[in-house]
Amino acid sequence: MMTNDVLYRIRDLVVEYHTRAGILTAVDHVSFDIRRGEVLGLVGESGCGKSTLGKALMRMIQEPGRIASGELWFDGMNLMQLPPGEMRKLRGSRISMIFQDPMTSLNPVQRVVDHITETIRVHQPQTSEKAARARAAELVDRLGISRNRLDDYPHQLSGGMRQRVMISLALALRADLVIADEATTSLDVIVEAQFLDLLKELREEFNLTILLITHNIGIVAELADRVAVMYAGRMAELAEVHELFERPDHPYTRGLLRAVPNIRLDDAELYKMPGSPPDLVSPPPGCRFHPRCPDVMDICTRQAPTFYENKPGHFVNCWLYQEREENVSLEEASS
Amino acid sequence: MAETHSSPTSEVENIGLLGRFWRGRIWYGTEWYITTFGGLILLAIILMTVFAPWLAPFDPNQFIGAQFTPPGHGKQALLARAGEAPPVDLSDLSGQVIGVQRNRNGANLARELGAKGKRYQTQEDLLAALLDGEVDLIFVDQELAPEIVASYDGLEIVAEGLGRSYPLGTDNLGRDIVSRLIWGARTVLGVALTSALFSSIIGITLGLISGFVSGFLDRVLSLMMDSIYSFPGLLLAIAMVVMLGPGLLNVAVAVSVIYIPTFFRVVRGQVLSVKEELYVEAARSLGAKPLTILTRYIFPNVIPSVVVVFSLNVADAILTEAGLSFVGLGLPPDVPDWGYDLSKGQSFLVAGQWWLITFPGIMITLVAAGFSLLGEGLSEILNPRLVKG
Amino acid sequence: MSPALRRYIIVRVLLTIPMVLILVSLVFIVLRVLPGDPAVAILREGASEEQLASFRAALGLDKPLHVQYVEFLTGVLRFDFGYSMTRKVPVTREIKTFFPATVELALASMFVTAVVGIFSGAFAAQHRKSPADYAIRILSIILYSLPIFWLGLMLQMTFGTGLGWLPVSNRLSPGMAPKEVITGLYTIDAILTGDWALFKDAASHLVLPALTLGLVLAGIFTRLTRANMLDVLEQDFITAGRARGLRERVLVYKHGLRNAFIPIVTLLGLQFALLLAGAILTETTFSWPGMGRLVVDRIYDRDFTTVQGAILFFALLVAGISLVVDILYGFLDPRIRY
Ligand SMILES: Nc1ncnc2c1ncn2[C@@H]1O[C@H](COP(=O)(O)OP(=O)(O)O)[C@@H](O)[C@H]1O
Ligand SMILES: [Mg+2]
Repeated sequence: MMTNDVLYRIRDLVVEYHTRAGILTAVDHVSFDIRRGEVLGLVGESGCGKSTLGKALMRMIQEPGRIASGELWFDGMNLMQLPPGEMRKLRGSRISMIFQDPMTSLNPVQRVVDHITETIRVHQPQTSEKAARARAAELVDRLGISRNRLDDYPHQLSGGMRQRVMISLALALRADLVIADEATTSLDVIVEAQFLDLLKELREEFNLTILLITHNIGIVAELADRVAVMYAGRMAELAEVHELFERPDHPYTRGLLRAVPNIRLDDAELYKMPGSPPDLVSPPPGCRFHPRCPDVMDICTRQAPTFYENKPGHFVNCWLYQEREENVSLEEASS
Repeated sequence: MAETHSSPTSEVENIGLLGRFWRGRIWYGTEWYITTFGGLILLAIILMTVFAPWLAPFDPNQFIGAQFTPPGHGKQALLARAGEAPPVDLSDLSGQVIGVQRNRNGANLARELGAKGKRYQTQEDLLAALLDGEVDLIFVDQELAPEIVASYDGLEIVAEGLGRSYPLGTDNLGRDIVSRLIWGARTVLGVALTSALFSSIIGITLGLISGFVSGFLDRVLSLMMDSIYSFPGLLLAIAMVVMLGPGLLNVAVAVSVIYIPTFFRVVRGQVLSVKEELYVEAARSLGAKPLTILTRYIFPNVIPSVVVVFSLNVADAILTEAGLSFVGLGLPPDVPDWGYDLSKGQSFLVAGQWWLITFPGIMITLVAAGFSLLGEGLSEILNPRLVKG
Repeated sequence: MSPALRRYIIVRVLLTIPMVLILVSLVFIVLRVLPGDPAVAILREGASEEQLASFRAALGLDKPLHVQYVEFLTGVLRFDFGYSMTRKVPVTREIKTFFPATVELALASMFVTAVVGIFSGAFAAQHRKSPADYAIRILSIILYSLPIFWLGLMLQMTFGTGLGWLPVSNRLSPGMAPKEVITGLYTIDAILTGDWALFKDAASHLVLPALTLGLVLAGIFTRLTRANMLDVLEQDFITAGRARGLRERVLVYKHGLRNAFIPIVTLLGLQFALLLAGAILTETTFSWPGMGRLVVDRIYDRDFTTVQGAILFFALLVAGISLVVDILYGFLDPRIRY
């Protein structure tokens, strides 16, 4: 199922928001690959730039933000060079997105079915309204919503059902890549479990690649093949899920994992990381994590480390694992 | 809001009003310039009202010139029979017999110069009198002189540019429009500011009480205010002026009633939200008196919105006052007032005397737009919010 | 109709009762309680004592205030505004004659306002912070700052007396008359009876007044629409729609506008008072024989009963309109609460 074939290659992506307080770099020189067929988890504290990254992958950054630089290669296409009209066609058909709050992500005055048929017909204008409706019915059936809810308005559905509608919208055109941004955050635990099961099934069935954005490490552990950890707009670490959980290299990842309630640790006190995430308008110099880092060294305060493949398939952005001279960039390592 | 509100933007809020305003230039870009533009318009108008006695060339109620002098006109030319022009000493025309046309600026000028004159009904009569030797000299409008000289043989221009001109013309009674505009600004601003002051005092007080006390009183007051708000304001003002009679104060009172609800609503809404905020809860649990909470915590928070509403309401009050004057219910005729000039001037529009109503209308628009621009801009600047994350 | 919606409507109808009561009391206070004697106000200073007394007796103004109030209220409830003091007909008949003209003007202006306001507001919101946005915003402030009657006079001067394209006063040319008065709105009546000459005449008379009033209100409406659209366009479902590949145009004008429409309708209802106030001035400017004209003219005629009746009618009208708008709101929004 999972191959090493790269579906989406992101290089040196920089996203800035121009706020009144100054320029906020929400995504700072981020590089990584999304492999075809994998579930890549993206974790990090709230405000570290996960959603911004997700939107940037669809080139959907709105004013006052913009993609300042970087390369986006999706399935061999250079998205940064794509004209806006072509980019729009890609959205929803080849890359789609599931949002955090299904209540506010559905148009409150539009019927469920119209959401789906509209999406189908914007990408396949030759499809008749009737055919689109039939496909919508089939789709929601598959996702476990009864057909007679099609003509409901979003507010008439339960939270879980709404999120299924969101999935059906994401899958309506069999997108290759689904970006799920905190897709379960608004659901209660039982519905969340059902939702994750559904996602697992669909992944096999639709041959999906999923970028699973979340701040919930548990979900990542359950679903992801690889995990990327973000801190303050930068990639901190990226590795296979077991590798990362068992041998986290970055001090931030270690702290993050210790902060997760763990059944094995029983009554051991939950770790609380000191300090708080930096202000992204004027972040600390050098490594952005250094003010909170237990292993901080002299160089960390002066110069930023590189995101570098420390072990095969295990990337880390930390001075602990690299000499100043032998910086090897991701570009060379992954070729 | 600056002192009591604690938020991550405190640095932004602590640089003082003027500093904040100046910094706004960078934050708000174009909007800031629009606001400032509005403010400058108002500043100019306010200066105009303050210095009206020195700025206005004439008394606004004096019949200074001929009726319906078009803008820029008014200067006279002195004509004589070609070759026969007597030596003219403009400072002393008493030796000459001067012909003028009735109801033209020349007649006024001749009178002021103390010349012995004869008045004629029409321009033809006047010219005939000159050609026949009945008079030695005639005054004609400067603008007409070249044409007259060209079409009548044997006339020449002796002197030009005599007397004064009226930059914006004169009205149907020969009053100087510039002077009326300048003095009218006093009236308009006076009435609008007075009424906004009345309505803000009443509206704020009721709003504070209603929002703070809540319960039955709040519901009744709110319903009352909503009802007044839903009633066409001008009609209410018309009814009140009819009953109270015309006069500056009565008009101001009538107009003020209309705007009480806007102050009430804004203040009440603010009080309700501020009341819920933690620091008021905290103050109350520490045993602060209601009055202290009201004055110390709530009142400072409503000021910014009140300033904005005030500015917008002044704009509206100006229009309402003009509307009242327009339907003939405004101020007494001896008070120079733009709305009054508009309503009197409209009947002369058909005859082509457009300048009677054009300029007062522009002034009203300018001042109302100035207050609106200022209000809109202030609402951004007094309530700084950084872009949310 | 869902039970929730029905309940909502019933509550709303019940809420109208205190509103009517307050409005009527407000009119009573202004006309009867405020300092200023209606008898003196109408007959002016210098009227003899007998004249004043007979005037008061005729209107019941000599009775104690509470008695007057009760009579006043019962009169309103029976829709009986008394007799016109100058025309010797019931005031209600006068209102019936003049009201349709106001309705016609109001509807036509509202059309202008809605079309201009919604499109320029939505456009400005879509192109936020662009030069077009600033231009639209400044223009709308200037529009709203125009004295209505002045704009009317300027339009008259340009298109009426100047270019001679359009008539500048009255509802019809002399000699024209509807064959049959059905609604009292001449344009509608003309369509209903298929009288195209009448339609053309009535419509050409309507253009300038409707444009005058409509444009001034469009100034406010543009700003309201823009603000509401900005709120809506920031919402998640717009982002979600964009992520599905929907076109910006569809997002703004279909999804955005449909959602912004709900608050806009409410605001339109609130602006109704402004519409009526503006109509008074527009009618005066264009000699349009509507309710505003009626009030202003009868003030000059010192016809106290008609003025009082017309003002009361306005009070009932605004209460009725706000009820209708709220009910409309209930139908527009599928998420009806209450
Ligand atoms: N529209 C915006 N304007 C300004 N700053 C923004 C905007 N959206 C996000 N940001 C800022 O970018 C940073 C990253 O935000 P986001 O991508 O939403 O983080 P996450 O999804 O990880 O919580 C935050 O500091 C946030 O304040
Ligand atoms: Mg997020």
